[in-house]
Amino acid sequence: MAVEQPAKPTFADRLYDRMFHNYVWKSIFRTGYPNTPRNQMLVIATNVFLHLHPTRLHRTHVKVTHTYCLGGLSFFMFLGLTVTGILLMFYYVPSVDRAYLDIQNIQTTVQFGQLMRNMHRWMAHAMVILVFLHMMRVFYTGAYKPPREFNWVVGVILLVLTFLLSFTGYLLPWDQLAFWAITVGTNIAGSAPVLGPKTRFWLLGGFEVGQNSLIRFYTLHVIGLPLIAAIFMAVHFWRIRRDGGLARPL
Amino acid sequence: MATAVVARPVARPQPRARDEEVLVWPDLVFIEFIAAMVFTIAIFALSFLVNAPLLDQANSDVTPNPSKAPWYLLNLQELLLHMNGAMAGVIIPTIWLGIMAAFPYFDRDPEGQGVWFGTERSIKMTAVSAAVGVVGTWFLILWDSGRMAQIIKMWTGISGGDRFRFLENVRAIQTQLPWPDWAHHITYLPFNLKILDEGPGAGPTTFQHLDFVAWLVEQGIPIVAMVGLATTLIYVLWRIGWVVTRRDALIVLFSGFVGAYGVLTLSGTAFRGQGQLLQWPWDVKVSEGIPGQE
Repeated sequence: MAVEQPAKPTFADRLYDRMFHNYVWKSIFRTGYPNTPRNQMLVIATNVFLHLHPTRLHRTHVKVTHTYCLGGLSFFMFLGLTVTGILLMFYYVPSVDRAYLDIQNIQTTVQFGQLMRNMHRWMAHAMVILVFLHMMRVFYTGAYKPPREFNWVVGVILLVLTFLLSFTGYLLPWDQLAFWAITVGTNIAGSAPVLGPKTRFWLLGGFEVGQNSLIRFYTLHVIGLPLIAAIFMAVHFWRIRRDGGLARPL
Repeated sequence: MATAVVARPVARPQPRARDEEVLVWPDLVFIEFIAAMVFTIAIFALSFLVNAPLLDQANSDVTPNPSKAPWYLLNLQELLLHMNGAMAGVIIPTIWLGIMAAFPYFDRDPEGQGVWFGTERSIKMTAVSAAVGVVGTWFLILWDSGRMAQIIKMWTGISGGDRFRFLENVRAIQTQLPWPDWAHHITYLPFNLKILDEGPGAGPTTFQHLDFVAWLVEQGIPIVAMVGLATTLIYVLWRIGWVVTRRDALIVLFSGFVGAYGVLTLSGTAFRGQGQLLQWPWDVKVSEGIPGQE
């Protein structure tokens, strides 16, 4: 009686084995693909990037139509903007003599420069829209209700920060669009009672848009506001977990 | 002795609905991954197809007409055309953000969370309020830009004359209402109180004279329009039995806001041409502000 012999390993099997069952790979990813429920929970709980999530959640929350992924996508836009923003920073000098030429340079001589600038711009617009839609989603699903009251407030702050991030970035190309949009925008801020003119002066570093304004907007755009936003985002995400994940009918 | 080992009733933790739960890996992380991929590809595609705008180098001597703020601020720029600047540009948005932030402290009932449109009739209320916001805002814009008067004249042939100037725009009321001259000499603490002011045109706080009519058109009527419209809407929907809870009132308020906000943004972005005149989007032409090329 012939005993069934195990099939001979194919080339693909051996390649797979070589790639994933070696000492170096296993030092980075301690386990293989998590294919048991226990390992799937472990990978969420122990991975630094994934442990923002709970290990399990209610089935209604994985329906795309419940959240449309709007909050996550807002955060994803923030990450994408950080990456493209850093790349743009390599070439951009916030000086009124250079800024415009640097943008032209990015568009014409830098490899993929135009693409990076386009992506940064469109992602910024997308983020404003996504954050607003996310707010609408949270409102219409009643997700601001107890115990998530304060997280809604944090969300409103993040909405304002998103506007400010976009607004401060608007000046940087130093073209006519940027210059006059910021002139109009800061005039609106300057019309505030009592503190208006002073606020405008602080924002612009002078009475009109110039070198001082450019360096202020740049600094706020690339480090000040992203840092503040990151802190509020950390609080926002942390509180989602602390409050038991997404809101669910009682 | 045997009694010592009798199990005492233990307070059991609330049973979690484990059957209703799924694992985050793979059920959620894969959706997140797909969403991220879709957006990455979409943004890449858009960036290949459409270039970010870049006009001429900034020049403070050359003012384009119209000059506009970034699009998400054009709702405020639109508001500025209709009322006191400080009110439109700063006070109203600040108050509204405060109101929005206070939503959860007004509606504290945990009932109805985690589902879309959790209360009875909330979809109807959302639709009606948003529609009122959209129509009402367009109506106010058309009135204040003189289009309403044009439409009335076109349809009925009545031009109205001076007595009906108020149909042209809100500020025309200022010239129509009588206001005694002596009252202009009374000074009061002005609305645009400036402390910490410096720079060109600055000085000691400029005291304004009591001018009720000016106040009416710049602040009174806009406040009445905004607060009144929202309050009336909530009141009416309450009387007909749609609005029952605080949650319902918030749905009406928020949906009305979304409608009005959308219209203001759209109008400011697409319908405002040179001199901020109301125009069809296809008629809007931007002048670069270069002399001889307007």
